[in-house]
Amino acid sequence: MPQTIYVSPRSLGAFDERPPAVVTADLARLFAGSPALAGVSLRVDAGATVALLGPNGAGKTTLLRLLATVIRPSYGTARVDGLDIGREPELVRARVAYLSHATGLYDDLTARENLAFAAEMLATPDARHRVTRALEDVGLAGRADDRVRGFSAGMRRRLALGRILLGSASLVLLDEPYAALDADGMALVDQLLTAWRDAGVTVLLTSHAPERLAVTIDGSVVLDRGVVAETRGNGVAELPSALDVPSATPARQVVS
Amino acid sequence: MALAIARKDALAELRGRHATVSTLFFAAIVLLLFGFALGPDSARLAAAAPGLLWLAIVFAGILAVSRLHLLETDDEALEQLALYPVARRAIYAGKALGGLAVMLVLGLLVLGAVGVLFAVDIGGALLPLLLTVILGAIGIAAVGTFYAGVTVRLRAREVMLPLLMLPVLAPLLLGAVKATTAALTGDPFGELASWLQLLVAFDVIMVAAGAATYGYLLED
Repeated sequence: MPQTIYVSPRSLGAFDERPPAVVTADLARLFAGSPALAGVSLRVDAGATVALLGPNGAGKTTLLRLLATVIRPSYGTARVDGLDIGREPELVRARVAYLSHATGLYDDLTARENLAFAAEMLATPDARHRVTRALEDVGLAGRADDRVRGFSAGMRRRLALGRILLGSASLVLLDEPYAALDADGMALVDQLLTAWRDAGVTVLLTSHAPERLAVTIDGSVVLDRGVVAETRGNGVAELPSALDVPSATPARQVVS
Repeated sequence: MALAIARKDALAELRGRHATVSTLFFAAIVLLLFGFALGPDSARLAAAAPGLLWLAIVFAGILAVSRLHLLETDDEALEQLALYPVARRAIYAGKALGGLAVMLVLGLLVLGAVGVLFAVDIGGALLPLLLTVILGAIGIAAVGTFYAGVTVRLRAREVMLPLLMLPVLAPLLLGAVKATTAALTGDPFGELASWLQLLVAFDVIMVAAGAATYGYLLED
């Protein structure tokens, strides 16, 4: 694994000097009539590393999937770099990288072929070199030409992280990035978080191990039953709901 | 981008042979079983050949496009594909091109098999037959890619895909069988061009409809 991980630079200054990377307004999503996210209004500053915390079912993954444009909001809006996720999803996708619980890899392709395909889809410049570099960065250079079908869950996770390095996302969304990783893999995630912070990339991640994140995050949001319970630290703030006026019904009641 | 997706599908298919091997066996079994059912009468077999050719291609084609889409269920690969900043119609075009490649291989091999098994003179009408197979393959790939996208997340996809596809493919099946019959009989009524036009119209409509609507299938 090289000393420094290559990340496309996005830095324009400290995170509090730029327009916010993410702004949500009463963002809600229902599944089968039940709110997984019940009206979240947040601001995440550009360049900040923010953890989404909370128990299972709190809405952390739903919030990430909404911002990644995997799912559409049932209610409310969100903007990524000023772009509306509902109205301009293709432009949002060009700015967002998302690591979900699944890795989205093709079992019959090798690690290198998987990344080469991703590089084509992301229009990565100097793709061949960047793929090789990404494989080195995530510690898979020695298995580059092996089919993914034989990879462990941790190796697949590393390769999916390598895919994020091929793009030039200004917002990286990581759902449980430490899951399935060994100690070296967890150290790799720590290194990546540092590299993204140094490059000015905004990171929003979920984790059930907040103690691991203590030195790498600027702030955190605690979600509970689909709403913001608390924000801590820097780089993130809860915004007033547009519906929190006497004549209107609060969003969380609307979607409940 | 469409070519990158089609290339990726071709590479995965060459490695895994998920679509070609199973569909070729299936097409061969369909032809053999119908051949046995019709008996040894060569005139009867030759008369039934156009219909059997297209039944084998359509049934095997449904299987092929379904298998190609199953690649995208590897660890939620379809979701990842939808996350790339590319136009949805490019994703449709890529998947349809991959399906078309398999359909063309399948169509040509089944055409050859029909010629051998049912004693049909393919060489005498090779050009119109090839044109019919190409137009039919485009239509099946266009419709199949769309409906494979509809059913890929369903548990009962193997049942639902033919149920959804076959009614839509009825005009293609009719036009392709009629065009094949006309080509094999020397086109005595001058109807070959009309049936080929029907196939072209079907392909244009289905490709346009698929490209316009496939993106909605990728969203939740």
